[in-house]
Amino acid sequence: MEMIERYIYAVTQKLPQSQREDIGIELRGLIEDMIEERVGDGEVKKKDVEEVLIELGSPREMAIKYRGTKRYLIGPELYDSFLIVLKIVLISMFAGLGIVFVIQIIIDPVEILDHFVGLIVTLVTAIPQVVGWVTLVFALVDYYGGVQTKDLGLDKTWHPSMLSAIPDPRRRIKRSEPIVGIIFYVIVMVFFAFSSNFFGVYVFNDGGFREVVPFLNEAAFSQYMPLVLLLLAIFIVKECLKLISGKWTMKLVGYTVIINLLGMMVVSFLITGDAFWNPEFMSDLVKSGIVTEGSEGYQIGETIWKNSTRIIVILLLVGLVWDTIEGFIKARKK
Amino acid sequence: MNEQEHIDKLMLELRRGTITIGVLSQLSVPQYGYSLVTLLNEKGVQVEPGTLYPLLRRLEKQGLLESLWDTNEARPRKYYKLSKMGNEVYEQLCKEWEGMVASLDHLIHTRKDEEDGND
Repeated sequence: MEMIERYIYAVTQKLPQSQREDIGIELRGLIEDMIEERVGDGEVKKKDVEEVLIELGSPREMAIKYRGTKRYLIGPELYDSFLIVLKIVLISMFAGLGIVFVIQIIIDPVEILDHFVGLIVTLVTAIPQVVGWVTLVFALVDYYGGVQTKDLGLDKTWHPSMLSAIPDPRRRIKRSEPIVGIIFYVIVMVFFAFSSNFFGVYVFNDGGFREVVPFLNEAAFSQYMPLVLLLLAIFIVKECLKLISGKWTMKLVGYTVIINLLGMMVVSFLITGDAFWNPEFMSDLVKSGIVTEGSEGYQIGETIWKNSTRIIVILLLVGLVWDTIEGFIKARKK
Repeated sequence: MNEQEHIDKLMLELRRGTITIGVLSQLSVPQYGYSLVTLLNEKGVQVEPGTLYPLLRRLEKQGLLESLWDTNEARPRKYYKLSKMGNEVYEQLCKEWEGMVASLDHLIHTRKDEEDGND
């Protein structure tokens, strides 16, 4: 009977390779036994087979019973953090897109309708992406880290003395800290995704907005873009881990070290590429009419520009190093 | 949910818990899946093959049952039988079960007596 073969195939293909054959034979025997009981030595009709298969239930349910393992992506232990992070990321994405929208209107007020349509299109594509990535990260955390918490819950030898100490206030990570971090990174991400030209000096004259003098070299920067977005995404993962953990532990410090090292590598790589900052920044400023070449203002501007580009990089690196050290110090506190 | 649905749901949970004892009780002699279904149903313990077959495999994996393929018959059949550990577990389970029945009986009957007294 082909229907039986189909049923067995449908069940076994949802099971691990190693069990398929065994369960297949067993199921076939069961179905034949059940049919035999129904019809005895008489002729087996299609209806009999159907009835037996209906009694056994859908192949999906049958396979689930055979597998008997967990059937969820994100377990109850992580679900709350998952919802919080998802909300934060979505809200900050909305905020970022809103700011971008406002900037676009300032830059180009005539095209307001186009910008609005653009905003809607971006929302439609971005929301599933955001939800997808956040879910993926949490599913991975659940898969690799969730098992231990579950084991703890089921541990029969549990004793009140095993309760872990309330973390020292100095070890605790305030919830607001990673939340602010996530909001910041998402907004920066949204900005980069639109245009690195949003980072710059906004020039207005009496009529209103005139132009942006960009800090970054957009032509060269566009090729680094995926790298920067990826790095920001990794930083968001770091903040999520902090939020979930709630306190500094050596494991968390380990992740932070890896992610921050990665961050430092990417930042150094970007900076040493000569085309990172806008090389025309000063002459662009002159063109925009903010300063005139040779004036005192020009020299002050140039000094600030040259120093600040360097200082920002140093601050960024110091910040990453400090983040790591801070975590290490706090994790060591008993 | 109405009354009957609540009862059905609770009964399902009760049955799920007791079915293992029922299965272990019949496996001092080797049985294959479907013969066990018939045997249990005859004795008033309702169990579906779709529940029993995976349960047998799970118990075997846990080491409470041993299995053996019999290929001499018309169709190959997997016979299950209590392992040594399974036997010990079963005996302990029986004791626990009897204790549970006794305590629950006590609870149910005291309550009935009180109600009768109030009338």
